[in-house]
Amino acid sequence: MQLYHIAINNLRRRKAKMLFVLVGLVIGVATMVSVYGVVETMKTEMTRQVAEFGANVVITPDAGELTFSYGGITLPEVMFDVERLTMDDVAAIASVPSRNMIRAVAPKLLGLASLETGQNLIVVGSNLQQEFMVKPWLRLRDAQEMAETGRRTMVTSDGQEMEFERLDLARQDFEQLSLKDNEILLGSTLAANLGIMEGDRLTLSGQGFHVFGVLKDSGSSEDEQILMNLGAAQAFLGRPHEVTVIELAADYTLGSEDALIAQLRQALPRAEVTSLRQEALRRDEMLTRLSRFGMSVSVLILFVGMLVVGLTMSGAVRERTREIGVFRAIGFRKSHVTKIILMEGAFVSVLGGIIGYIAGTSAARLAGPVLAGMEISVPWRFDLFALAVLLAVVIGLAASIIPARQAARLDPAEALRFI
Amino acid sequence: MPEIMICMNDLKKTYTSMGDEVQALRGVSLDIYKGESLAVMGHSGSGKSTLLSILGGLNPPTSGTIEIDSIDLYALSQEKRADFRREYLGFVFQQFQLIPYLTAIENVMLPLTTTSNSNKVKREMAEGVLCRVGLAGKMNRLPNQLSGGEQERVAIARAIVNEPPVVLADEPTGSLDTKTGDEIMELFQELNQEGLTVLMVTHNPDNTRYMGRTILMKDGQLCTDKAEILQLVSGKKR
Repeated sequence: MQLYHIAINNLRRRKAKMLFVLVGLVIGVATMVSVYGVVETMKTEMTRQVAEFGANVVITPDAGELTFSYGGITLPEVMFDVERLTMDDVAAIASVPSRNMIRAVAPKLLGLASLETGQNLIVVGSNLQQEFMVKPWLRLRDAQEMAETGRRTMVTSDGQEMEFERLDLARQDFEQLSLKDNEILLGSTLAANLGIMEGDRLTLSGQGFHVFGVLKDSGSSEDEQILMNLGAAQAFLGRPHEVTVIELAADYTLGSEDALIAQLRQALPRAEVTSLRQEALRRDEMLTRLSRFGMSVSVLILFVGMLVVGLTMSGAVRERTREIGVFRAIGFRKSHVTKIILMEGAFVSVLGGIIGYIAGTSAARLAGPVLAGMEISVPWRFDLFALAVLLAVVIGLAASIIPARQAARLDPAEALRFI
Repeated sequence: MPEIMICMNDLKKTYTSMGDEVQALRGVSLDIYKGESLAVMGHSGSGKSTLLSILGGLNPPTSGTIEIDSIDLYALSQEKRADFRREYLGFVFQQFQLIPYLTAIENVMLPLTTTSNSNKVKREMAEGVLCRVGLAGKMNRLPNQLSGGEQERVAIARAIVNEPPVVLADEPTGSLDTKTGDEIMELFQELNQEGLTVLMVTHNPDNTRYMGRTILMKDGQLCTDKAEILQLVSGKKR
């Protein structure tokens, strides 16, 4: 017979009351776990998506104060010579120790070219295969759109002409496409504005180019740009060896983001290395708001849970006045009585934490995808489980302190009224 | 000359109720000897329950001293007094006061809970006293599965399990029928004969037959009028 036997037996006897306490704790913990679980999973999912699709590291020249924006990325003013990135910088990226994390390196050169009418257009020279890897949303207009134009042939990288209907424009084929140096791709908006279609010729700054294809409308800056091979652009713009920006697709599941960024900064001391993952997460206001709101509600519910525990335990102590008087009369110290009450609080709390975690995670798994509007799968996490139980115990114990002191302070003579 | 077990010296207790002072004890001095059995009788409000609670270390007197086994009870701190109660005193409460969610044997083990004995030793001690009070086959029953007499036996077993030298009982037969009450009193008598000092508060004059000495409380004082005492305990076996 130990003190905990008394605590456990009392809990078993007062099932209804303890169930009430338990429910209070479970609701509080479950709410917190579910909100935390959903938000954390959303963050992880967004990180994964950013890591898996598209560029998540951008390297730009050290800009000083002269900047302009390209597709949400801040770039140095092209017209001013501040610092320039070169193909040597591109080569230097391949030498960093964490290079295995880098899935794609997409250097590009930006410049302006003028039409015969005098209109200036943005020309982007890039390594197309790598470019398409870091910009997975890019597509060529599909076969039907193409067919409507009456063009039925297309030239592949080996120079063969083929029937367009037979070409599957799935991503893997698209990424295998390569342009000749006199071929360009046009953004959809630009093509529409200029009234140009696949196969047409376009004269830029006095040089003739063959329009290989038109990109599908993507809502991005590419809609108004001209894409060509990096080498061709460097020659055309008269800026050999130069690049304006380097985009990287890094897989953060293979290593530390901080280490990679630090290594890149060391390898490219004259360049700005920016990680877009944190930027992306920071930008997501919905996530931040949901997180704040959820946590506020959780804290409120936990507080209510704590009150429920405290009031119920306090009521139970009052009911047990005579019993506690007996304990004291037969030689229990105040500390023994305190321990019994705290143990009861702790036992219910541990149970509340376990059930709360299971309920919260289950709710998050069921409601999370709907709530988040994302395909997420909230995992069963041991660290969150431990945190939930710890949280429940802290709350349970904090709420039991006053009833425990109340019990310990009971005057045994008064409690028993006679002896 | 028998050794003094309990020595009360000029005990006074004053309660304040609604601004009025009530003198529950007005200077009680009494010696109780080792192995003695003493019945304390008196009408309601005579101060006998107050005396018992002071004796039990639960209710400090307003003035006066009380020594048990030469230890000044109220010179001890509150927590030390709890330890003292555990080692020196066994309580048999009115209405048994068993813990309803603990079985008979668990109730008996209660005073041992805070001792350093192993669970096995505690259980053996509890089984021993439960057998001693005739409840060998009912150890695992909850209080509400026992009769009044059996509950009283469990209460007595709980009072003696840690082998205290003194047992204090408050109306132990108050809620029992005559036959069961007599059985319980016989049990107290046996325990006293085995060396236990027993002090019992009772309303029932019949119970004094089983006790070695009877004192009468009246208006917070010991009544010394022998005729009155004899009248009260008339019918006691000699």
